[in-house]
Amino acid sequence: MDNTTYRHSVSIGNDNVNCNNVTNSHNNTVNNILADENPEIMKWLSPLDSRGKHHDVRTDRVDGVGNWLLETNEFREWRSNGGGADKAVLFCSGNPGVGKTHLR
Amino acid sequence: MIDDLCDGPCEKEVAIAMFYCDFRDQREQTATNIVGDILKQLVVRGKVLEDVQKAFQKAKSEVGGRGLRLPDMMQMLKQAVATLPQVFICIDALDECLPKHLLELLASLKDTLQGSRGTRIFFTGRPQVGAEIARYFTGSVLVPISPKAHDIERYLKKKLEMDTESDAMSDTLRADILRVIPQRISGMYVAEPAVLTSCKILH
Repeated sequence: MDNTTYRHSVSIGNDNVNCNNVTNSHNNTVNNILADENPEIMKWLSPLDSRGKHHDVRTDRVDGVGNWLLETNEFREWRSNGGGADKAVLFCSGNPGVGKTHLR
Repeated sequence: MIDDLCDGPCEKEVAIAMFYCDFRDQREQTATNIVGDILKQLVVRGKVLEDVQKAFQKAKSEVGGRGLRLPDMMQMLKQAVATLPQVFICIDALDECLPKHLLELLASLKDTLQGSRGTRIFFTGRPQVGAEIARYFTGSVLVPISPKAHDIERYLKKKLEMDTESDAMSDTLRADILRVIPQRISGMYVAEPAVLTSCKILH
């Protein structure tokens, strides 16, 4: 197994608020060249930017809270493509304030 | 959850796009703008990267620097997704999207899924958007979220640790907070209605 740097497209732009530069034991490099080099194009594609919001959510989240979801068969199957195209969508439903946004 | 997708081991390349709907930004959070925000997180390589750059240069040369229309955006999104073996699209608080934008967004995401077997979509939202999700994604899986007593306790402990008025706290008050609040909150959410009739429900 390669020990390579694991960069995700989730981390857009030049800051490191998200999952940028996470070291992973697998060779899974997805590098967002567009985000790194073309802020003008980014703004043109959409004035919206989830980056700041994700940073706020991560900051507020308490480690361990909501971990139970990750252990469910439904989540694992969804994540691993186990259910095929039919189960490509997972919907976590709940009333306001139950913690949906902050699920670990 | 997004962090878990980021950190977890995976044998394939993983790309993650996320979006947080917010009722305060409803007017700006159109399907076109949301798809655009997702697209810019997934344009990572190849012809689609060149196409986006070319389209931008063309738009820039036109009067007013025209933005992309949803069909153009969708074409690029499908191309982008096709270049990636594993894509997760996570959208929070779908219910905070205006209904007209929500339906257009769900239709667009359905279209994206049809072109890619390696794409997974994760939604959160209040139960009332379940019917719309089920309409567009008949095999979608529903996980009802309710506060767990141990999660509330963990959260409270963390907040108590960070309490700036620690002199005002006593062992008795602390114990009462950790005992009463998890009980009360858990009780508040016992009767959550199951809205998604055509989804598989996790118990």
